[in-house]
Amino acid sequence: MNTLLSLSWRNIWRHPARSGVLLAAIMVGLCAGVVTVGTMNGLMRQRVDYLIESELTHAQIHHPEFLAEGHSWHSIPEHDRIISWLDGDPRVESHTSRTLSDGVLQSPVRASGVRIRGIDVESEVRTTTFHENLVEGEYLDTDVRNAVLMGTRLAEEHNLDLGNRIVLTFEDTDGRLASASFNIAGLFKSASADYDELNVLVRSDDFIRLLADRPVYHEIGVMLESEEVAESFVADFNSEFTGAEAQTWRELSPELSMLVELGGVMVFLITMIIMAALAFGILNTMLMALFERMREIGMLLSVGMSRPRVFSMIMLESVILTFTGAAVGIGLAWMSMTYLSRAGVNLEMFAEGMAEIGWDYMVYPLMSAREYVAVVTVVIVITLLASVYPALKAIRINPLEAARDH
Amino acid sequence: MAILKTTDLSKVYNPDTVPVHALRDVSVSIEKGEFTSVVGPSGSGKTTLLNLVGGLDKPTSGEVEVEGIRIAGMKDRELTNFRLHNIGFVFQHYNLIPVFSARENVSFIMLLQNQDKEKMQERADELLRAVGLGNRKDARPPQMSGGEQQRVAVARALASKPKFILADEPTASLDTEAAMNLLDIMQRMNQEQNVTFVFSTHDQRVIDRARRVITLVDGAVDSDEHRDPDEGATA
Ligand SMILES: Nc1ncnc2c1ncn2[C@@H]1O[C@H](COP(=O)(O)OP(=O)(O)O)[C@@H](O)[C@H]1O
Ligand SMILES: [Mg+2]
Repeated sequence: MNTLLSLSWRNIWRHPARSGVLLAAIMVGLCAGVVTVGTMNGLMRQRVDYLIESELTHAQIHHPEFLAEGHSWHSIPEHDRIISWLDGDPRVESHTSRTLSDGVLQSPVRASGVRIRGIDVESEVRTTTFHENLVEGEYLDTDVRNAVLMGTRLAEEHNLDLGNRIVLTFEDTDGRLASASFNIAGLFKSASADYDELNVLVRSDDFIRLLADRPVYHEIGVMLESEEVAESFVADFNSEFTGAEAQTWRELSPELSMLVELGGVMVFLITMIIMAALAFGILNTMLMALFERMREIGMLLSVGMSRPRVFSMIMLESVILTFTGAAVGIGLAWMSMTYLSRAGVNLEMFAEGMAEIGWDYMVYPLMSAREYVAVVTVVIVITLLASVYPALKAIRINPLEAARDH
Repeated sequence: MAILKTTDLSKVYNPDTVPVHALRDVSVSIEKGEFTSVVGPSGSGKTTLLNLVGGLDKPTSGEVEVEGIRIAGMKDRELTNFRLHNIGFVFQHYNLIPVFSARENVSFIMLLQNQDKEKMQERADELLRAVGLGNRKDARPPQMSGGEQQRVAVARALASKPKFILADEPTASLDTEAAMNLLDIMQRMNQEQNVTFVFSTHDQRVIDRARRVITLVDGAVDSDEHRDPDEGATA
């Protein structure tokens, strides 16, 4: 019945200012909501990508007991067979093997517990971006003998500088204490202050010579073609090998995984808050429109317009109003997102310290098709809910209102 | 058969708190083609009577029959549909849809009746011409005078081809000229097309135009006279 449609449309424009304000609120609300959510998504995504790419990788392989115990004798068995298996898997982009041990760092000032990480420079650089965290000195491809890299903060605590010498003490694979002196070749500053305080990097060749009489590896970092294949890759690996265990980055870093989940919750919350505000706007506007039209609706009921039709008329008004706003709002949001996902959002002014702790202040907002669908669904559901109440009120109007003096 | 008949029609407002006996045992019968005015002082029950016979309100006791059909027992939905197809309404405050043109206001009723779209337009134009608004078809209520709006309301009431038209104080918001003009139109419809009108008023000039005058006092029929409108009462 397009007359009803036309009646609803014209009724909406009876108060251009009032309807206009609601329309604008819906548009701005939706657009701002989507951009906020997209920015948070982008921030989260960039953080996760950064951590995965810089060190964590998509999946890691260890001796099943290594992560819990950290003993150097819990090295990965069948290392060669694993490497050739990895090289044959098309999902694997690159991988790097690391030799690890817990130990003690001694400087003239003090001693502190650290994890010593033996790095294969060539494959590590191919696999991760950790070398970009270097802020002073040289990376491990230096000519310096027994080179070590450490975090700037750890160096400060020990009053150490480039070129200084430290002693690292650790258990070798036979359980005997071993120690050797290393020369500080470079200082790094990564995204995590904790990591910087607890890890020192050495060349795996240097480290293996001190640790065992044969090559030993405790961790293989694997970059995959995409994050999505991590689960299946890990499952396949674990059914192929029993002496070593693969885990996804989510399993390895539950707190990072939680950050992503938390992001999802925030997205939901923000959407809900915006929609709740819109629902009140719709409700308020429609109830106002209704109270002004008591006599008119009384007349319609008197002359024989059925209550279901009156219900549809009022529903239609809210629905048309909201959907017009929502359609334009989503359109604006999509355009803003298209622009911002290329230009980026500069958050420097809001959080000066962001770069300090390794968060990018240039954020490239991100919004998946699924999230757009979710937002639109929420808009539709909330609109219908907010429209039902005024429509129900409308059909309870007494036809005698037509004759009442208002 | 009477087109409209009430039997011992009574209405008590607020029966449980402060009962107001607005209508007491009113029994009247109106035939097709009558031009009837319900008169009486303010508070005498005119509006109450018209609301009851129009199926807008339920009587406390008594019966309303429209061409022999009792409307008291009808459910709300049935009654709404019954009003749509049988009764035309004209209100004191015109009550047009302000966002609709005169023509749309008139055809809207026919739309509710699911009438044929093309015939609807023709009939709406025809009715507007008949009430002297042939050149105001596209005007919207806010652009019209009170008299013009009330003529649109009469055209709207006629559009649904009702058995009779009820008008509660249709001239109360109009100046004398507009009121007399409206009465002319109603009278002409009555004479030329045999449309039955029942209207309430307390305006003597309007009363003078009626051919039957039912007078209410305190909710009861005080007198019911048939007469020649131009020569006074003939009983
Ligand atoms: N909704 C109502 N509730 C209570 N009393 C009412 C109501 N409507 C009318 N009345 C009373 O009923 C009587 C008749 O009113 P009404 O039919 O409006 O008279 P009229 O139209 O002749 O002025 C009056 O005393 C009026 O106060
Ligand atoms: Mg009255």
